[in-house]
Amino acid sequence: MRLSKTAVIAAASSLALLTGCGAADMTKQASPFANAQGARTVTLSVQSWVGAQSNVAVAQYLLEHELGYRVDTVQVDEVPAWDALSQGRVDALLEDWGHPEQEQRYVKDKKTIARGGGLGVTGHIGWYVPTYLAKKHPDITDWKNLNKYADLFRTPESGSKGQLMDGSPSYVTNDKALVKNLKLDYQVVFAGSEAAQITQIRQFAKEKKPFLTYWYSPQWLFKKVPMTEVKLPPYKEGCDADPEKVTCAYPHTPLQKYLNADFAKKGGKAAAFLKKFKWTTEDQNEVSLMIADKKMTPEEAAKKWVERHKSTWKKWLS
Amino acid sequence: MDTTTPVFSVEGLWKVFGPKADRIPGDPELTSLDQAELRSRTGCTAAVRDVTFDVRKGEVFVVMGLSGSGKSTLVRCLTRLIEPTAGTIAIDGEDVRAMDRSRLRELRRHRAAMVFQHFGLLPHRTVLDNVAYGLEIQGMGKAERRERAAEVVAKVGLEGMEHRRPGQLSGGQRQRVGLARALAVDPEVLLFDEPFSALDPLIRREMQEEVIRLHREEGRTMVFITHDLQEALKLGDRITLMRDGRVVQLGTPEEIVGSPADDYVREFVRDVPREQVMTVRTAMRSPAADQNGSGPAVAPDATVSEAIEAVARAGAPARVVDKGRCVGVVDSDTLLGVVAGTEQPAPPGTEQPREAV
Amino acid sequence: MATITANPSRVGLPGLLKNRAVQKLLLLAVAAAVLVPLASARFASGSWPGALTVDFSEPLAKASDWIIDNRDSHPLFLYFFGHVSNVVVIAVRAVYLTLLAIGWAGVTALGALAAWRVAGVKLALGTAVAFLACGVLGMWVPTMQTLALMVVAVLASVVVGLLLGLAAGLSDRMDRVLRPVLDTMQVLPAFAYLLPVVLVFGIGVPAAVLATVIYAAPPMARLTSLGLRGADKEVLEAVQSLGSTARQRLLTARIPLARKELLLGVNQTIMMALSMAVIAAVIGAGGLGDRVYQALASVDVGAALAAGIPIVLLAVVLDRVTGAAGERLGAEPEPRSGLGWLYALIGVVAVAAAGRLAGRLDWPESWIVNIAEPVNRAVDWMTAHLYSGVPVIGGTADWAGHFTTWVLDPMRDGLQALPWWSVLLIVAALAWVIGTWRTALTAVLAMAAIGVLGVWKPSLDTLSQVLAAVAVTLVVGFAVGIAAARSDRLERALRPVLDVFQTMPQFVYLIPVVALFGVGRAPAVAAAIVYALPAVVRITAQGLRQVDQAALESSSSLGATSWQQLRQVQLPLARPALLLAVNQGLVLVLAVVVIGGLVGGGALGYDVVFGLAQGDLATGLVAGGAIVCLGLMLDRVTQPTERRAKKGA
Repeated sequence: MRLSKTAVIAAASSLALLTGCGAADMTKQASPFANAQGARTVTLSVQSWVGAQSNVAVAQYLLEHELGYRVDTVQVDEVPAWDALSQGRVDALLEDWGHPEQEQRYVKDKKTIARGGGLGVTGHIGWYVPTYLAKKHPDITDWKNLNKYADLFRTPESGSKGQLMDGSPSYVTNDKALVKNLKLDYQVVFAGSEAAQITQIRQFAKEKKPFLTYWYSPQWLFKKVPMTEVKLPPYKEGCDADPEKVTCAYPHTPLQKYLNADFAKKGGKAAAFLKKFKWTTEDQNEVSLMIADKKMTPEEAAKKWVERHKSTWKKWLS
Repeated sequence: MDTTTPVFSVEGLWKVFGPKADRIPGDPELTSLDQAELRSRTGCTAAVRDVTFDVRKGEVFVVMGLSGSGKSTLVRCLTRLIEPTAGTIAIDGEDVRAMDRSRLRELRRHRAAMVFQHFGLLPHRTVLDNVAYGLEIQGMGKAERRERAAEVVAKVGLEGMEHRRPGQLSGGQRQRVGLARALAVDPEVLLFDEPFSALDPLIRREMQEEVIRLHREEGRTMVFITHDLQEALKLGDRITLMRDGRVVQLGTPEEIVGSPADDYVREFVRDVPREQVMTVRTAMRSPAADQNGSGPAVAPDATVSEAIEAVARAGAPARVVDKGRCVGVVDSDTLLGVVAGTEQPAPPGTEQPREAV
Repeated sequence: MATITANPSRVGLPGLLKNRAVQKLLLLAVAAAVLVPLASARFASGSWPGALTVDFSEPLAKASDWIIDNRDSHPLFLYFFGHVSNVVVIAVRAVYLTLLAIGWAGVTALGALAAWRVAGVKLALGTAVAFLACGVLGMWVPTMQTLALMVVAVLASVVVGLLLGLAAGLSDRMDRVLRPVLDTMQVLPAFAYLLPVVLVFGIGVPAAVLATVIYAAPPMARLTSLGLRGADKEVLEAVQSLGSTARQRLLTARIPLARKELLLGVNQTIMMALSMAVIAAVIGAGGLGDRVYQALASVDVGAALAAGIPIVLLAVVLDRVTGAAGERLGAEPEPRSGLGWLYALIGVVAVAAAGRLAGRLDWPESWIVNIAEPVNRAVDWMTAHLYSGVPVIGGTADWAGHFTTWVLDPMRDGLQALPWWSVLLIVAALAWVIGTWRTALTAVLAMAAIGVLGVWKPSLDTLSQVLAAVAVTLVVGFAVGIAAARSDRLERALRPVLDVFQTMPQFVYLIPVVALFGVGRAPAVAAAIVYALPAVVRITAQGLRQVDQAALESSSSLGATSWQQLRQVQLPLARPALLLAVNQGLVLVLAVVVIGGLVGGGALGYDVVFGLAQGDLATGLVAGGAIVCLGLMLDRVTQPTERRAKKGA
């Protein structure tokens, strides 16, 4: 025991020696991979969905080729990304779907994160069935009729109930509560990641099987697998305040950008550019489709888009 | 030789393993128990029980016993590799048990070095560095200790193998390294813990010769542990025979073979070729007046087998001649009596060093 | 000599009762007969009673909030964790910048020449090829990032492990304290380590490095202690008899004598660090792991493979080189080895300088080969043709469906329908029959802890997946292992395959598995089987091969057929190895079933992923705790006690 105590003391004191005896604020440390070889580096957070990859790919391409920065990307889920952004481990988060709790904490209270303006894309979450199914059973698109069709959606995973497929655990979802509160004969099955969910949707679509899934727009997959939204009870301001009792649809959210507060102030051209970065749902889908469906690397896809849309991005650089 | 202080003087030594071992040596009720009873009563094992002996300067003192007799524990107690439970040990009159750590280290570094059954070599060092290890421990500089080590390596006949690793040597060669390591520190006493029992018979004999040679050349005191009676008789000036932690008999080889202390020892030495151990001195009878001058002469220290040869050649009894004086006579009858074991010359169990007669 | 050997006195019971297992079961039955009615009267039967659960999520959530709010102000963070984090960042950065400064040619030369010195020409070539392959696949920079992280994490793990190992090796008391902890840490899934470090350090490289150190240091500590304790007693005695001080003994004898174990420890630490460095991508480790993780997000098996191959290459090279260094110990020391190192160093400097002068530090873009496309095409073809509608045997989706309906569902429902006390009883019985009352007690306590944490149902869900996966793994693994043990050619052919599958990051398996088996528990189980199979095959084959030749000869001299020989000699004699295979199979399967939360495996794995993704550390930590308990329970249930075997009881 004595040994371990001295070891701890020795470790602590050598640490203190190494770092100069003072306080060390770990929330002010950048990534060790940043700014290598004297380049100015911007670290962007990428979320796991392709739309977010598209934002980052284009921003990265322009930062590197037009502004001469080196760009690091880190894949972090949304909520942890807020923490990383606050700590300065990433400089910018380009697509946020609304996290009021985090916004309160970091933007208003701690002031370590600054708003970066809108992305120009409006996001919407909902329940979707494939369009081929909606054509066959037009009344399926109303939630009140879902129980009637529950048998159609049965899978080995959901057992005797219909399957409502949810995606990555990082996504905003009230589906479990909705199924319970709307008394639907469905079982929520979590695909665990968007990748898994997309793979499954495509497999279903190829065989024209019925399925019901949590999905969101903008999303490139709509171009590959046309889907129709199932109408849930309409969204009203505040109806989703208590996640346990929610009985309404998801809102339409203008997607937001956020920057690390220090970076926003001192980030120079890069920060200014990221604040001005604003495009449309179509733009984003165009890049997403190239990445996810044509299997282009994000860099190639971004290059293609940049070549075609000079007028759009010129405005961001001025 | 009797006038000098013994190198090691051991008195009433006990080593008890087990819980609360301290209470056992002082408790007469417990000390009278045998091993099995002691264990069932106290959970303790007495490996060494009330052992007393002296090791004289320049002699080869053999401790002999079967496995479990406590002999290896005993030799480790001498330098406190195992801490004794009770009794006294003195080296050149100095109390070993009272030594503090640095004094004890001093003892181990300079005064007593040990050779082990399985050699105990460091596999990652060369032969030379293994031999020099004891000197390194003492803090000797690299060049000097290597030079010293090289000399010792040559002395034990390992020239040319200085840079091999122990793993590349045969068993006999490894034990030569072990021996050289012990010799390198130039100790007053060499302790051997069954050094040759892991070796092949032929190599073993070779190594025994080596020890005899070293002893003859240097006259160093040696304490030699073995379970091999032949080895004990061959090497030992005196032998102490142990059983269940106790000394059963202590004496010269001749005494052990010629006058076993009890049935255990007798059984032990039964197959020993007595004529090769017993000397003429024990076999002779007083000379008759008429025999003065005739017949072959033999020395009193000659073995019986040598006398048999002389008697057989001459076809007549031989005279035992000590310093030009005829002290006795051996004839074929007396010699045959020794070989057959029917002769009981000396009272058993007493310590009768040869020199004293 | 004077060692104390006490034989436990046996109670003479007639016939069947003499069997120890039966004795234990009887005793357990008596205990159950008393306790169960009490428990069921007090609490309801069925699922774990609510009265016995403790809600940890609220205090955990509070703790998590407190940490986030105080991370930049509280002295504990400013003066301790902050410095730890700082040192990690500085160290990783220093290594990373050095690697970049040497350039790709210099790094390749460094790796190859170092491999040449410690392991010979063949492995040097292999190392060079591996590094170049990383460049060709377009993964040079991520490889360097992973390497930088690895260097720091491995060094730290080795130092920490060495210190702990020394403590445990030299002090019996420390050993008693540390050993169970270290043993347990080795069986836990890597995934469970992520959350606590994230709680303290937030997402990022420091958290990743520390998680890696926590995961990779235990084998070093265990092997150090083992080496120190396993040293030849007589050598130590000899060293002591020459009058050495304790310090001299440690430095000149104990540590050098343990060098084989120490090197093995380094080897294991490197392998564990690499696998953790990949998984830590989930908490922002960056590098190759991050590329795999990103590729997963876009269902891009090709890209995942492009990042996965460098990981496999690194792993194989590091394993072989450190392994060869271990084997070379004790052999004839090469003359003038210092000079060889000097040549190597000069070589590296020359190549690095040449690279710098030529301005070719970064891997040339034109040398990158894109393998993603053909791989993806192959995968697409596979999924298109195998997924469903294959005549006669049905598609993979149908199999997955049947497996879920006929195996997973009944198992899960069955387990969840069992009264909670009967689950505890079964665990106790199994663990006690196979092990000792100690292992049984640990197993039962671990299982009960799951109930107390309030995640009884999801844990049984995870357990059902683990059991199903292990069953399949063992059937297939034993079959292949037996075949490999009987045919040298098959074993040689299998070796590289097993190597690759064992070192491939678990992430890479997940997506093709989803493409083949759909979303749900079936793909999680499938991925787990693929991951655990190599180890089971290997241990089985090795165990069978190591069966005493004399026993085999004697049985064939009696005219046994090879089938009889296998059944009556080899399998019974290889029993310890087979039990080890079961144990390892369980541990590995659990590790992947948990990651299966990413592909719809649900249950505990999903909760951990959810916790990480939503920053809801409370949920994640509770699930992580349950995973730890589950791992502990599974390990103890299948842990035959060596002690008992040694005593010959």
